[in-house]
Amino acid sequence: MTARFEELEGLSSKLHQLNWLLPVLAGLLGLVGVMAILSANNGIWRLGAMQHTMRIGFAFVVMICVAMTNIRVWYTLAYPAYFGALLLLVGVEFFGINVNGSVRWLQLGPIRIQPSEVMKPAVVLALARFYHDLPTWRVSDPIGLIGVLFLIGAPMAFVLRQPDLGTSLLICATGAAIIFLAGVSWRVIGLGSVLVAVSVPLVWQFGLRDYQRGRILTFLDPSRDPAGASYHITQSKIALGSGGLSGKGYMQGSQRQGGYVPENSTDFISTVIGEEFGFIGSLALMGLYIAVIAACIRLSLQCKAVFSRLLILGLTTTFGLYIFINLGMVMGLLPVVGVPLPLVSYGGTVILVVMGSFGLMLSAHLHTDTPLPRSD
Amino acid sequence: MARKPQQTTQADKNRSDAQMTRRTAVLGAGGLGVFGILAGRFYQLQIQQSENYLALSENNRFNFQTIVPSRGIVRDRFGEPLATNTLDYQVELIAEQIDDLDLTLLQLADVIHLSNGEVERIRRDIRRRPDFVPITVKDHVDWDDFAALNMRVHALPGIIPKAGEGRSYPDDGLFSHVIGYVGKANDADVARDDDPLLLQPAFRIGKTGVEQAADARLRGKSGKLKVEVNARGRVVREWPDPRDAALQGEDVYLTLDADLQRFAAEQFEDDSGGIAVMDVMTGELRTLLSMPTFDANLFVSGLTQADMDGLNNDEKRPQYNKVLSGGYAPASTYKMAVMLAALKSGQIDPDRRIFCGGKTRVGNRLFHCWRPEGHGPVDMRYALKQSCDTYFYEVSQVIGVDAIADMARRLGLGQRYGIGIAGEKQGIVPDPEWKRDRLGAGWRMGDTLNASIGQGFVLASPMQLAVMSARLANGTKAVTPSLFAGEELTPFSDLDIDPGHLGFVQDAMWSVCEEPGGTAYRPNGLGLTGLDMAGKTGTSQVRGISRAERASGVLSNAQLPWKYRDHSIFVGYAPYARPRFAVGCVVEHAGSGAGRAAAITRAVLGEALRRDGLGPRTDAAVDSTRL
Repeated sequence: MTARFEELEGLSSKLHQLNWLLPVLAGLLGLVGVMAILSANNGIWRLGAMQHTMRIGFAFVVMICVAMTNIRVWYTLAYPAYFGALLLLVGVEFFGINVNGSVRWLQLGPIRIQPSEVMKPAVVLALARFYHDLPTWRVSDPIGLIGVLFLIGAPMAFVLRQPDLGTSLLICATGAAIIFLAGVSWRVIGLGSVLVAVSVPLVWQFGLRDYQRGRILTFLDPSRDPAGASYHITQSKIALGSGGLSGKGYMQGSQRQGGYVPENSTDFISTVIGEEFGFIGSLALMGLYIAVIAACIRLSLQCKAVFSRLLILGLTTTFGLYIFINLGMVMGLLPVVGVPLPLVSYGGTVILVVMGSFGLMLSAHLHTDTPLPRSD
Repeated sequence: MARKPQQTTQADKNRSDAQMTRRTAVLGAGGLGVFGILAGRFYQLQIQQSENYLALSENNRFNFQTIVPSRGIVRDRFGEPLATNTLDYQVELIAEQIDDLDLTLLQLADVIHLSNGEVERIRRDIRRRPDFVPITVKDHVDWDDFAALNMRVHALPGIIPKAGEGRSYPDDGLFSHVIGYVGKANDADVARDDDPLLLQPAFRIGKTGVEQAADARLRGKSGKLKVEVNARGRVVREWPDPRDAALQGEDVYLTLDADLQRFAAEQFEDDSGGIAVMDVMTGELRTLLSMPTFDANLFVSGLTQADMDGLNNDEKRPQYNKVLSGGYAPASTYKMAVMLAALKSGQIDPDRRIFCGGKTRVGNRLFHCWRPEGHGPVDMRYALKQSCDTYFYEVSQVIGVDAIADMARRLGLGQRYGIGIAGEKQGIVPDPEWKRDRLGAGWRMGDTLNASIGQGFVLASPMQLAVMSARLANGTKAVTPSLFAGEELTPFSDLDIDPGHLGFVQDAMWSVCEEPGGTAYRPNGLGLTGLDMAGKTGTSQVRGISRAERASGVLSNAQLPWKYRDHSIFVGYAPYARPRFAVGCVVEHAGSGAGRAAAITRAVLGEALRRDGLGPRTDAAVDSTRL
């Protein structure tokens, strides 16, 4: 009984010690999402906004639970999680469900999951664990590089086959960021850059499907496809641009009311905010995201273990890339690749993955005094 | 890299921690830069180019709808409408705004009661027209269905309920042959005419008759309506601008007198035929009627197969415009032309009597007078009064067929007048040249004899007979008929027939109607005090009579099936002294011209004069109407 009591006391003191800035900011973003989704559905609560609220609430609880769990557990689970996710990706290869020509989904009993979403934090976990175990002097030598390239390359290959260029590039960019943070030498960085520059034309020629090439060409020259993807971007830009400095007012957006921007409660949710709250609203939204990222970086700096620091920074990189790709796509700076705006866009898996990631970060920060064995 | 494996020391760890912090700062700065780019893009879109995008978003919201103008009304000479517009509830759809066509059609069929055939028609139209063009789902939706649809329309994107105008013809189509009807523009119409109105589902184009002939005037000009729409095309608000209003079509006035036409139709009862009433001075047609009529409204609302079969299988051919397109042997009504030709030739003394024994032999053929026992000795006036065929057989052999044909053409037969609507037939005034060109055969004397009594090759429409009658009555001008009121008329050319000869013929025609013994004599005449009429009967044979039948006694009309009975024909004008109106009348398969056609003409002429302020009625006529 006493043990139980101590555990409970430990739990409450842990809750007390938890860095609450990040959960509060995450909750605020969720609230922004509820407002925007409500407007996108003409103020009808049960069309999206209600579900979003419930999902944010559930994911929030998941986040706190993940945070309360000792980092050692996640540390131990790093490789099993990675290989489990990889197994799911392989499963997609054989048992995946085809939606619109892409095979991305896996039906497991009653739930349908997207293994490529699960893979994003799993790669970060595995890479953090890998560098945690790797002696500093090996970071730039062939053994270290080969291991890291395998950890990044394997999931990328499977995701590319689905085909999902966006997610695969996201995994690649996150991995590159972790390699950089882990302290790989500038010589290797230079070499890698040259390799990438050389391989881009090769990948273009042999590695991409026609529709992927088409999307990129359309992005480079919108007149190629006036009715399809570029219509989407044109309408999205009209929505944002017509918002002006201060916007048309909440629930007043004509582009939104007219339903001109497709997918405006999911990937294109920022057009609703931009149209109804204008430039000020857009900046406020970005400010909120920058605050989240800054809070995450601060968490990483306060951690001791390499695993914890790389975990937090890797997950933060993924989070930041989501935002960059989404906003870039909505404003016509990047091709349309179907990346949601985290915590604001309607959609369950991403909310859970992002909130779970925050949980991992908080757990790493909360348990920073827990020694993590290093198996050199 | 020949570094010896070594234990990671605390110093190493500190150094790598510091490096990680440095690199975190580098990445963080990079991230901030990226966010700076995003903020810059927001600035560019939302501040610098905001006005452009605001204008584009306004354009997104506004759209222009084509407004179909009200079609002009067709009216009779007194302004009574013969073709009007009535409120009509219609349903249209725009295919590109519909997600699930099958489901939508299923729901629609339930609400506004679409038959399978209609659903098929809608699918066919969707396939044939561009996706963004509205397509008619159903016209003439009744109010209950229309209201039910309006309740549900928010759940049916792409479905547009409309309260529009439909064409309607009063009197169940009494004027159908003249006014014609409207219908949806078909592919041929669209190919001929690039007016964008033709693509509007609510638009109707004139298909026949006046509706077709005067379509450009009746159509009007399309208007524009600025509407606020959402991305699904649903109209949210309307922004009318008076400058963009549709221009209503012009009204078109006809020379017809609706009441007189109605009266004429009543006289026909169930008979088939045609009658034209014409002003002998101006040529204005007061009545242009083909019987039986058909209901043009059926063609507007869409004909069912049963309606179609009914119209096509009727042996009285309701759709056939008999008054303009019918070709009938004018029979004895042609005899005026023969008389005038004979007088003009100077070879015939009108007072010289010719003996009628009931038949004439030419070569080895016998030509019979309608009266088997013959008329005895007859002069020219008596020959017309009694309609003695033998007299005309003899005269025609003297003057020849060319003289007859020339006179018939002067009187207006064998030609089109161009009254403005389609369907006028030229008819036939036969002469040797015509027979050679058309039949490739030589002219025989027998042909001349047949022509002299208006049989054989001669064909004329009731309207042509009215023109002939009008020219006989007018005496000086070659009157031509007109249907559209207020049109600039070219002056009629001179008739160029000796007035003395015409006077003689007019007197003979008077004797037909007003002298005891005349074929159309009735003691009460027109039934109007002090007014006489002149005219001529005709009995148009539609079958040959064999020698055997002649021997055993010619079958009377009553013994024959309807379609082998003679046509009853009458031409006439009144008042005799100062002519106002001329009539050509054919009653199909109604027997002798002295019967139905004469009776109808007499009644219609009397009514026309009465409506024109002439009269009053005689006591006897008043009595007969009381009875």
